[in-house]
Amino acid sequence: MHLAAVNLETFLQLTANGVFRGAAYGILGVGLALILGVTGRFHFAYGSFYTLAAYLAYTFEDRGLFPPLIEATLPFWIAALAGVVVVVVLGCLVERTLYQPLARLAGATELLAVFVAALGIAIALENLIRLLWGSSSQPYFGPSREAWSIGSVTFLNFDVYSAITYAVLTLALAALLRYTPLGRMVRATRSNPGLASTVGIDSKRVYVLAFAIGTFLAGTAAVWTGLQFAVEPGMATRPVIFAFVVAFLAGTSSSPIRVFLTGIGVALVEQWSSMWLSVRWTQTAVFVILVVYLSWLSFRRSGVYVKLQMPGLRRQKI
Amino acid sequence: MQIWLNYLVQVLIYSSFAVSLNMLLGYAGQVSVAHAAFGAIGGYTMGYTATVHGWPFLAGAILGAALALIAGVVVALPAMRLTVEYLTLLTIAVAFVILGVISTFSELGGTFGLIGIPKASIFGIEMDRPGDWLIPCAVMLGLVMVVCHRMGESAYGRVLKGIREDVLSVQAMGKNVVVFKLTVFGLTSALAGLSGAFYAGWLRLATPGVYGFPFALTIFAMVILGGMANIWGSIFGATVVVLLEPLLRDTVRLDASTASIVQLIVYGSLLAALMLLRPQGAIPEGSRLLRRLGILVAGEGSLRKRLRTGPCGERRETPVNEDWAPDFANREPTEARFAGPRRERWDHAHAVLEARGITKHFGGVVAAENLDIELRAGTITALVGPNGAGKTTVFNLLTGFVPPDRGSVRLNGRELVGLSPHRIARMGLVRSFQDVRLIARITCLQNVMMAVQGQDGESLLKLYLGGRGPSRCEARTRERAMQWLEFVGMAGFADVPAGALSYGQSKLVSLARLLATEAPVLLLDEPASGIDTRWVETTLQMVEAVRDQGRTVCIVEHNLQVVGRLADHAYFMDLGRIVAQGAIDELTASAELARTYFGT
Repeated sequence: MHLAAVNLETFLQLTANGVFRGAAYGILGVGLALILGVTGRFHFAYGSFYTLAAYLAYTFEDRGLFPPLIEATLPFWIAALAGVVVVVVLGCLVERTLYQPLARLAGATELLAVFVAALGIAIALENLIRLLWGSSSQPYFGPSREAWSIGSVTFLNFDVYSAITYAVLTLALAALLRYTPLGRMVRATRSNPGLASTVGIDSKRVYVLAFAIGTFLAGTAAVWTGLQFAVEPGMATRPVIFAFVVAFLAGTSSSPIRVFLTGIGVALVEQWSSMWLSVRWTQTAVFVILVVYLSWLSFRRSGVYVKLQMPGLRRQKI
Repeated sequence: MQIWLNYLVQVLIYSSFAVSLNMLLGYAGQVSVAHAAFGAIGGYTMGYTATVHGWPFLAGAILGAALALIAGVVVALPAMRLTVEYLTLLTIAVAFVILGVISTFSELGGTFGLIGIPKASIFGIEMDRPGDWLIPCAVMLGLVMVVCHRMGESAYGRVLKGIREDVLSVQAMGKNVVVFKLTVFGLTSALAGLSGAFYAGWLRLATPGVYGFPFALTIFAMVILGGMANIWGSIFGATVVVLLEPLLRDTVRLDASTASIVQLIVYGSLLAALMLLRPQGAIPEGSRLLRRLGILVAGEGSLRKRLRTGPCGERRETPVNEDWAPDFANREPTEARFAGPRRERWDHAHAVLEARGITKHFGGVVAAENLDIELRAGTITALVGPNGAGKTTVFNLLTGFVPPDRGSVRLNGRELVGLSPHRIARMGLVRSFQDVRLIARITCLQNVMMAVQGQDGESLLKLYLGGRGPSRCEARTRERAMQWLEFVGMAGFADVPAGALSYGQSKLVSLARLLATEAPVLLLDEPASGIDTRWVETTLQMVEAVRDQGRTVCIVEHNLQVVGRLADHAYFMDLGRIVAQGAIDELTASAELARTYFGT
């Protein structure tokens, strides 16, 4: 461990890094929390769809609509949108044709059965990507890339654009859930799918909707992340683990805004800890803090009454 | 040939990971993604002691298992009260912390890990080739299976299954959930550590990658592929996962660069397809195949035989008949013993349970305000009052499920406030739940057996060191539970999973479960509600029979006819307060009460 002199400049730079990176964790957490909260599915293939969106957007712009046959390319923005839309359709298909029948068949072990199926999809998709595009990373160019700075703090224009996109999308989702009839249907299904269906809400369609929105958010984040760094088969591994952490930490049925802010909080912890810890410790530090927080959460609930209020996973059949 | 031996060894090692995780996941319902990381503790300990200190393999493996046990117990402490979501998150975090810490020490090889661990020798036999590990690994898997089978198919495992489905219900039967969770976490972690040591010994390396997140998920997949709560399923799952790779390689012939990628695509798709084909795993819990295997493996055969014959060995008919009701015809009609004697019974009995001034507020809501309640030996007391009056809360306060803000509860003079629910249940005050809360995925008989107190098979020490003691105790427990099922007339349903019962039937089984605790004081929450008239009559006769045994009963009930027939004494509650008390006919005679509650 080394104790670096903590100066204001470093602190501000780390804070900026934390906010930008945290916005990405946040938006992925928002999408995953929506899927987890509404459908109760451990959608582990979330990351594969994220990666696939970036690859498709890159391919449509750079290589052609269907490389071996159609070499016509699309302008950046349309390609990005097309990539995301294709992934959204695939996400909905997986829910409709795999998860839903599986959940019906599996009964009490629904949660774990879906988890393993999702794991299978994730492994298959990641390797399909490797097969089609190769295992090395692909450079992805869109709008021009510029370095900006405020005082001593430097960042990319993409950092700012992406953070704004994520914040706007989060607010839009929060408003959708809160103020529209559609949002009310989603929230009703989230809190009690059985009751929701008795008042005429088709929970299966709400589930598909949750997958559509969640996958859309992931796809959008993937396009920005691809632009900032590069497109590669393993690009989802780390962000998705953080997305799970953020979604669970904020609570899967919390407001998107809360989930988003939790994402920023996690990234800030990760960044700030590098002021005192060497780089090889920072990721561990985040998880140490997480363990401490969860332990505190567990011991704080010492009253037996709270135990009465803590159900298992909501969907668990009794 | 050598290569297939190698795969076989891998199957054995993966199996022991999967079997031990199934103990935790399938039986106890505790989702843990940290299993691979506990394996890392074992593997690294073995590797480090062998490389640096020249320890023999087994010594390092045992030390590794011991350290993993400690780590498991430490993780179990905070894991205890977390919901599935938070538990998953905690174990993910713990896995990353363990691997993160390990890969930070240069003594442990940093991110590269320990490479080139010296060849192990076990009892003087050098493990020259990877195939030499076949016998040691088979022995290890055998050990893991024996440990897990003993744990799972015993009174201990029954409580684990109860914890999996309903912690409160298990506590209400006097089980210390904390001890069960700590021991199952600790022991399965130790087994993971042992497996991890063999894994590292076989590979001759221990790296963060070997025990990383993908491996944790693979173990998970093996358990679920095989089916929950059974050992053979996990071994099957491990076999499928390990052998898929070579089988695919031999069938899908491709050039080396793409072969592994295509294999993984097929593997992933197969995983999803297999789940669709067998959504509950290859061997679902409670399947016929499992029972047959159970007979082959352990005393389960004799166990099942005993189920069909009664305690005295006669062949028992097991008619599954919804319309069955116990025969109480030879009992004298209760109408004859109305009014007078009951009043006397109450006046002459001594108080068993005394609650003084118990108060509970939930925020601004007064759930209970300064309540004085007395239950007298050999009598039936009723709590009546409108919905939301706080009747069920009183049960929660008396039995320790909700700690009161103020007040004292004394059972035969001993203070109960501050004790945990399982302690109170063990002291002889047990309660039923309004929503029944049977453990759905185990049989009725198992549900009732769980309630029997003082079982040797619930202690791991006695299970492993107690010789035949626990199995003899298990047989006695079974007989007693069967008698209680007979008492409530549900003996014919002994083999039926509790989840398959109708509501009325499950109420009767829950009554049997309550009685099987043999506690002197019983709190019954709406024993007769929601069941049709004939079952009501049955239940009432049962409660009277229990009272006639000299036990103390308190019921919460809406049905005035029920109260009128059973209660020797009644407390009328409204808005968390006791408004009136006395014999039930006195209460109904009061004009004011009649107006507010009885609406006449």
